[in-house]
Amino acid sequence: MTHRLSVPIVLLLLLLAACAPSPSSSTAAPPSSQPSSVAAAFPLTLTDDVGREVTLEAEPQRIVSLAPSNTEIVCAIDACDRLVGVTDFDDYPADVVEVDKVVTMAQVDVEAVVATEPDLVLAAGNELTPTAVIEQLADLGVPVMVLYPQSLDDVSASIELVGMAVGRHGEAAALVGEMATRVGAVEEAVADLERPRTFYEVSVFEGTIYTAGERSFLASLIETAGGEPVTGDALSTSIELEELVAADPELILLGDATYDPTITPETVAQRQGWETMTAVDDGRVVVVSEDVVITRPGPRIVDGLEALARAIHPDAFAAAP
Amino acid sequence: MRAGVAPRPIVRGPALTRAALVLGGGGAMLFVALIAGIGLGSVAIAPDDVLRVLGHRLLGIGATAGVGDSIETIVLDLRLPRVLGAMLVGAGLACAGTVFQAVLRNPLADPYIIGTAAGASLGATIGIVLPLLLPGLAIGAGSAWLGLGIVQGLAFVGGVGAVLLVLTIARSGGRLPSVTLLLTGYAVSSLLAAGVALLMVASGRALAAIFSWLMGSLAAVGWVDLVIAAPVVFGVFFLLLARWRTLNLLLLGDGPAAHLGLDVGREKLGLTLLATLVTSAAVAISGTIGFVGLVVPHLVRLAVGPDHRLLLPASAVFGASLLVTADLGARLAGGIPVGVVTAFVGAPFFLWLLRRSRRVSESLS
Repeated sequence: MTHRLSVPIVLLLLLLAACAPSPSSSTAAPPSSQPSSVAAAFPLTLTDDVGREVTLEAEPQRIVSLAPSNTEIVCAIDACDRLVGVTDFDDYPADVVEVDKVVTMAQVDVEAVVATEPDLVLAAGNELTPTAVIEQLADLGVPVMVLYPQSLDDVSASIELVGMAVGRHGEAAALVGEMATRVGAVEEAVADLERPRTFYEVSVFEGTIYTAGERSFLASLIETAGGEPVTGDALSTSIELEELVAADPELILLGDATYDPTITPETVAQRQGWETMTAVDDGRVVVVSEDVVITRPGPRIVDGLEALARAIHPDAFAAAP
Repeated sequence: MRAGVAPRPIVRGPALTRAALVLGGGGAMLFVALIAGIGLGSVAIAPDDVLRVLGHRLLGIGATAGVGDSIETIVLDLRLPRVLGAMLVGAGLACAGTVFQAVLRNPLADPYIIGTAAGASLGATIGIVLPLLLPGLAIGAGSAWLGLGIVQGLAFVGGVGAVLLVLTIARSGGRLPSVTLLLTGYAVSSLLAAGVALLMVASGRALAAIFSWLMGSLAAVGWVDLVIAAPVVFGVFFLLLARWRTLNLLLLGDGPAAHLGLDVGREKLGLTLLATLVTSAAVAISGTIGFVGLVVPHLVRLAVGPDHRLLLPASAVFGASLLVTADLGARLAGGIPVGVVTAFVGAPFFLWLLRRSRRVSESLS
C-alpha cells in the first residue's frame, strides 16, 4: 500500500523539481532536472532555521557538518562526497568516519573548521553548536546555516533547505516525499487505536529522570506514533519521580537501554517507587534499541517513528510486513 | 664615591636595575609566549608561513603568495586576537588581583572576591538562556549590540552591578571596612551564584555553554572584543599605576594610612571600582578564568617586593604571559577550558612557593 502511494508522489515531486532551477551535476536525478542556466541559481540567499540569512556565492563543494543529523541529511541527498569535516560522533553512513573531525568531545575546533576551507558549514540549533561559534564563523565570512528541526515537518523542511543550498533539490524532494509517505502510513495505522500513556526514558542519572520535554520533538514523535507522551519540563527535559508516578504511564520505553545493557525491564521493576506504575504491573516495559534514530533529527527519523509505533502498537504492525 | 653628586644613588641604583631586569625578563617571556601562541595550535602551520602572513598583513613586507586563505584567516583572525585577548585578560586580572590584595589587605583576595565573578556569571548565564526562552532574541535578530554579543554585555553589566550593590551595602558613613566589604561580597556572591545554579538546572542544552563560560575560554575572542576591552584595560592600568603611593600606604592598614593624610574610604572606593571595571571587562570576553589574579601578584611580589610602582606593571606583564601560555596549553590539549589549565598549573606551583617561602603569606600582613 505504501508503495502504491509513494510512486505518484515521487513522480510529482520530481516533476516539480525539474521545473525549479537546479545547478546540480547530479547523476542520480533524471536528466530533465538539469538546469538550463547555472547562473540563475547562485549566488543564492537562503534563510536558515533560526532566521539567519545566508548567501552562497556558488554551489557548495566543501561542506562541514557540525552535527550527525546534518551529516545524514547531506549524505541522504547524495552529497556525501562533498563533506570535508564532521564530528567524532558521526557514525552514519559508515563512510563518514573517514572524514576529518572538526568537532571532538562536543567542542567545535574553529581553527580546524577554517582549515578545511569550507564553502558551507551546517550547524545545529539549541546550543548544540554554541551560539558563540556560529557568530565567530559567520564573522570570518564562512557561510553558516543552522538547522534546528523541532518536528517531523521541520526535518523535511531542513532537508529541502539543504537540498536548495547544495543544488540537490531533486534528491531532497524525492527523499521528503518518501518520508511523508512512510509517516502517512504510520498515522493511518494508529489512527483508530487506543493511545497508551507512554513514558520514554532518555536517561536516568543520579536520580534525575530525563524524558521527552513538554512540546518537544520527541513528544510529538510519540504522539504521531500513536502514544500519549508523559512529558518532563520543557527546558530541562527532566521529570520528578513523584510526577511520573502520578502520571502513571501505561507503557515505558527504555531508550537508554540502547547504550546501557544493565537497563532492562527487570531492573526497572526493581527501582524504588516504579513498581506502582501500571506499565510495570502489566509488564509493558519495553526496550527500544533504536534510540539513535529516534533522537537524531535526520532523514532516518522515520525509522525512529516506525520503531516507536511498533513498540507502542505491536499488534497493529505485527500484521503488516 | 659619587654619593655627593647624585641624590639618593644607593636607593635608586639597585632598584632601577631590578626593575629593568624584571620588566625586561617579563617582556621577553611575553614575546616568546606571543610567538608560540600564534605559531602553534590544533592545525599545524609552518613557521615561515606564519611569519609571511604576519609580515605581509601587519608590516606590509613580503607577499603571501602560496599561503592559503584559510591559513591567513587562522593566523590573523583566530590566533592573533585570541593571543592578544589572553594578554589583555591576563594583565587585567593580575592588576585587579594586586589591587584587591592591597585594598582588602588579604592574601586570599583575587579579582572575583567581592562579587565580580558571581555577578558576571549571572549576567552571562541570563545572556545564554534568554534567547532560548525568547526566540526573538536569538542570533540574527538583535543579539549583537555595538558588535558585542548579549552574553558579553550582560557579563560586564553583571560584574559591575554586583560590586556596586556590595559597595552600597558595605559602605557606612564614608568608611569602607575591609572585613565588612569581604563578608558583604561573600553573601552577595552566594546569592548570585544560587541564581546561576537555578538557571543551570533549567537550561537544558545550554548547560554546556554555561559550563564552558564558567570555566573560562578564549576561543571566541575576536577583534571587536579587543577593540572594546583594550581601552578599558589600558586606561584602568594607567589610572591604577598613578595611584601607586595610595596602594603602598594602604598596606600599612586603614588607621596608619589615614594618619598619613589619606582619605582611606574614598581611595578604597575608587580603587575597588577601577579594579572591578578591569575585571568585568576581562571576564566579559573570556569567562571566569581562575587563579591568574590570585597567584601572579604573589609571585611578582616575591620577585620585586611590595612597591606598587613596580609591582603593578610587573604583574601585568607576567599575568599576560602566564595566560597566553596557559591558553596555548589548553588549545594543544584538545580544547580543554583554560581555567582548568591555570588551576592545574597554578595551584601546585603556588603551594610549592608557599612551602618554600613564608614571605608569600606574610608579605601582606
